[in-house]
Amino acid sequence: MSVIELRNLTKRYGKARGISDVNLQVEEGEIFGFIGPNGAGKSTTIRTLLGLISPTSGSATLFGKSCTTHPEIRKELGYLPSEVFYYDGMRVMDLLQYSASFYKKDCTKRIQELAERMDLDLKKKIDDLSFGNKKKVGIVQGLLHEPKLILLDEPTSGLDPLMQQTFFELIAEENRKGATVFFSSHILSEVQKMCSRVAFIKEGRIIKQEKMSDLQDNNYKKVSLEAKSAIDPAALDLDGVSNLELKGTSASFIFKGSLNAMLQRITAFQLTNISIVEPDLEEIFLHYYVKED
Amino acid sequence: MIALAALYLSIYPSVASDAEDFKKLLGSYPESVRAMLGIDLDRIASILGLYSMVFSIIVLCGAIQAMNLGVSILTKESRERTADFLLVKPVSRAKIVSSKLVAAVLILIATNLVFYAAAFLIANGVKTEDFSAKLFMLIHLTLFFVQLMFLAIGMASSVFFAKLRSVLPLSLGVVFGLYLIGALLASGEDKELIRFISPFKYFEPSYVLAHAGYETPYLIAAAVIIGVAVALSYTVYLNKDVHAVS
Repeated sequence: MSVIELRNLTKRYGKARGISDVNLQVEEGEIFGFIGPNGAGKSTTIRTLLGLISPTSGSATLFGKSCTTHPEIRKELGYLPSEVFYYDGMRVMDLLQYSASFYKKDCTKRIQELAERMDLDLKKKIDDLSFGNKKKVGIVQGLLHEPKLILLDEPTSGLDPLMQQTFFELIAEENRKGATVFFSSHILSEVQKMCSRVAFIKEGRIIKQEKMSDLQDNNYKKVSLEAKSAIDPAALDLDGVSNLELKGTSASFIFKGSLNAMLQRITAFQLTNISIVEPDLEEIFLHYYVKED
Repeated sequence: MIALAALYLSIYPSVASDAEDFKKLLGSYPESVRAMLGIDLDRIASILGLYSMVFSIIVLCGAIQAMNLGVSILTKESRERTADFLLVKPVSRAKIVSSKLVAAVLILIATNLVFYAAAFLIANGVKTEDFSAKLFMLIHLTLFFVQLMFLAIGMASSVFFAKLRSVLPLSLGVVFGLYLIGALLASGEDKELIRFISPFKYFEPSYVLAHAGYETPYLIAAAVIIGVAVALSYTVYLNKDVHAVS
């Protein structure tokens, strides 16, 4: 049984926004990255999964059950939204205890532990916290009951780099303890570090699902060339070439396919310089997201 | 509300002593004005009669409180953007609505108890003749009934707003609207039918004083309004989409 399963999930708001026919499975113990630019439908997907909005058609289940009909399934769930808002008048500790009361276990020790790691003052009023500190409350709040599934919606916004580091360590620890992590983001480098699989969403549709290792190891190369004379674009018109950028005597592109075939083409030029490197996800990503004309 | 009751009740002794003059003065008002203000000439000189006149204004305040509560309880989470926190907890939305509803009703009960106790003490302090404690309580209970209706109406109207920025305009608008309808129409033709439109006119103090009870059709209407509004709130809120904050 998959921890998360989305089947033909569709949510329409009028005509413009929403998601259509999203299919996705996340297995136990995975760290799953969910990548897309702003407005692609990441939050809509997550909110449908949480039961905050109801789908137009299709289904979304956690541990095989829908959140709307089985709200108790959310016991196993920790959720961190991109923007956190809590009851302003409460103190941090009171809010966290209130949150813990829903899970019917005593989390005081765990709260203290997490607060210490995140460097969070439990005695302060929520009102007086900065955005980053509120975010920390959100993190503690999402992890205090040791959920089996952690849903993160753009979790790092508002955290300074050092805190991001701590945050990722925490998530990695939870994952080692057996928690499944679903991680939405538009920042690729952070996904790259953590995830075992990624799905790309664009304009409400999943356009690609791949294992991280497949994405990085084999398939894609970033090729940069410099030649003595101007490079003829026709020579690089080859299957597997994308994101081609030509500037007179230099060229760069992402390549996926037979390296021999590509190298044969390239030897036609009088090369002064060449580099073939692993692209980072950002570049692969761009290649998915360049608007088709 | 207590202050209002105290103010009106404190003028009672002077009203009682000059009962005849007072009646004459009020008698010079046109019939329709008297009906609008809820003045009943025959009873004005008794403490309960005077009190029931004040009471319509107290009920108005009570209705505003109840309507505010009703509109607030469910929209609070989206107005303060805490819906994302509460609604992903392992509790069903039905349970959330129930808890909030019970809390609101408890607040109303507490308000009524405090107000009743205070009004009773004041009335006892200023009385010049004995009055029926039972009637006093029956009149007071109408406050609670009207409040329950407005709580339910408030809740039912709030669930239709995707995002309600502030509560007061809606609740004041509805409450004053119904109050004015009640005040203006109660003096017109087809009185008995038109009274169904405004919850303020469901329980006329003068009827309560005369019969020591409530009018059954309006009691049923009140129960129906409460039932339908609460059921509507549940149905809509359970299926409502909760959108991301922006």
